Amino acid sequence: MVGTPVLLIAIPLLAAFVIPLVGMIWKELVRIIPGLVLAYMMVLSVTLLHYVSVHGTIVETIAGWSPPWGINLVFSPLTGLLASIMTILGFLVWMYSYRFKRNVDFEPAKKYFIFLMMLVASAVGMVITGDIFNMFVFIEIMGISAYTLTAFYTGRNSAEAAFKYLMMGGLASSLLLIAIAIIYSQLGTLNMADIASKISTMNPGYKITALVFFITAIGIEAEMFPLNGWAPDAYSEAPGPVGAAFAGITVKAGIYVIIRIVFTLFDVPGAYDFLLVIGLITLIVAETTALRQERLKRMLAYSSIGQMGLVVVAFGIGTVEGAYAALFLMLNHAIIKPLLFFSGSYLVFNSKEKRICEVNGLGKYMPFTSVLFALGAFAIVGLPPFAGFWSKLSVLTAAANEGLLLIISLILIVSVIEIVYYFRVVNRIFFLKYDKSTSVVPHRPRFNAVITMVTLAILILVIGFYPDAVTGLLHNASQDLMNTPEYIQNVLHGGQSLIR
Amino acid sequence: MDDNLLKILEIGVLSTSVLMILIGLYAVLTKRSLIKIVIGLSIIDGGIHLLLITLGYLKRGTAPIFSPGYEHAADKMVDPVPQALVLTAIVIGFAVTAVALSLIIRLYRHHHTLEIDEIKTLKW
Repeated sequence: MVGTPVLLIAIPLLAAFVIPLVGMIWKELVRIIPGLVLAYMMVLSVTLLHYVSVHGTIVETIAGWSPPWGINLVFSPLTGLLASIMTILGFLVWMYSYRFKRNVDFEPAKKYFIFLMMLVASAVGMVITGDIFNMFVFIEIMGISAYTLTAFYTGRNSAEAAFKYLMMGGLASSLLLIAIAIIYSQLGTLNMADIASKISTMNPGYKITALVFFITAIGIEAEMFPLNGWAPDAYSEAPGPVGAAFAGITVKAGIYVIIRIVFTLFDVPGAYDFLLVIGLITLIVAETTALRQERLKRMLAYSSIGQMGLVVVAFGIGTVEGAYAALFLMLNHAIIKPLLFFSGSYLVFNSKEKRICEVNGLGKYMPFTSVLFALGAFAIVGLPPFAGFWSKLSVLTAAANEGLLLIISLILIVSVIEIVYYFRVVNRIFFLKYDKSTSVVPHRPRFNAVITMVTLAILILVIGFYPDAVTGLLHNASQDLMNTPEYIQNVLHGGQSLIR
Repeated sequence: MDDNLLKILEIGVLSTSVLMILIGLYAVLTKRSLIKIVIGLSIIDGGIHLLLITLGYLKRGTAPIFSPGYEHAADKMVDPVPQALVLTAIVIGFAVTAVALSLIIRLYRHHHTLEIDEIKTLKW
């Protein structure tokens, strides 16, 4: 064993506090240490995921207080899969932003890496914790680091975007705390497995109220439709790698919390249908709004919201197949959307307004970045040889097996809209003429950015050609999600204790 | 104090906390000044903290510490968990308020106003 799950939270948090100190010794350490930490987290989470898929769920108790009294960490096939996705993506974001502000100033880079570490630590913590108040604390840490990263550039409207995000996030945390207070006053416990085993004894009125508070609060973090006003601004005003981190890491954590609460904590009939409806509304509204966007990053942000809507629709189908499809979508979105953000932010690097109409004819001057962007666009709309195809296909088959024909047709219509707005950009890049007065000045991507983008592109192609490489993990994870009795059994009655 | 008075006190504290949450929500939704919105968020937080503390409070309870004379008083002790939660929530609320105020300083330097209607350059 290389370590235990708690190190996934402890080490990056420690690194976040150590970074400014080591920065006094040698400035380059500020960039190197996050990379080492994220590489270690990546190795650790993947090793643990492999261990878990062979030996069963790891439950780690913190400070010797066994559940349901103390805080415990649950590293199951589902949480392990999400934690691995997050750490791998965190490492790629670090690789992309290694030279961030290197020749400009030392101070911003230091802050950037501190908050990046906190973001990854809190997202992983949200996923692997088994205690509902601990989850609240991690949501808040993630919120604070996300607000700060959004407000990173002083020259743009970023403070406004961050303030908007903070207002929504602040309300979300208040609602979450009320929901936790309701649960605690009724059941007298904060452990998620304990809540799940006692929830049937709870008064239905209180149960529904708590669920509504929970879903509203987490809907803000997970970009569900009426609550996602902050998302496009935050994505477009934040630095490029931060947009990728939002799409790949924070939103995934938000979605995880929604499904954990709906699938494991509450057994309210009709909650699945509610997810289905809210997911569909999010999908349709976001994709049609994306069609009207003039700025590249806002378009990508709305597309990201739409994809999350599709994920929630797939979870709302309520079967193991649906959960499998949704997890597959989350995995694909976590590798495709960062590629689009990375290559997209290089395409409009020298532009002030970052408009889509400024990318005309860049394919000739930035062939490499343009091809990668096109690859990402083809993958996310679900063209066959790429990763996105398999996930979209599995959503459609899962819906078809349940006879949800209306949903299938809506997903297909929305896919057409998606194809239209992505191909519009690709068309401008490759088939329109470069015009010196309107198009942006080409910018050569740096070496580390090239490696990052190529890695993501290879991942997309590998999953596209050999989906079997990940389907086993996804099947384990989806069965783990749907099996609440086993979760309770694992946490409360021993399960797999950790060999040290 | 007799039981009736305690009962009235408890109801009073509970309704105060709900009232604080509603006042804060009103401030966040209707006020146009950024500072007032942040104050509203803080009032909501305060109301929730009061609510949580009241949930764990026990009439005539003691502090949750096993001390001489109180070895077998576990059922008379005030529930310590909500207090720990509130302590954590206060720290978090403090951090969020600090970030919010620093963002307001940035916004003020950029726009020279605190009115939210004059700042909106980004579409909602």
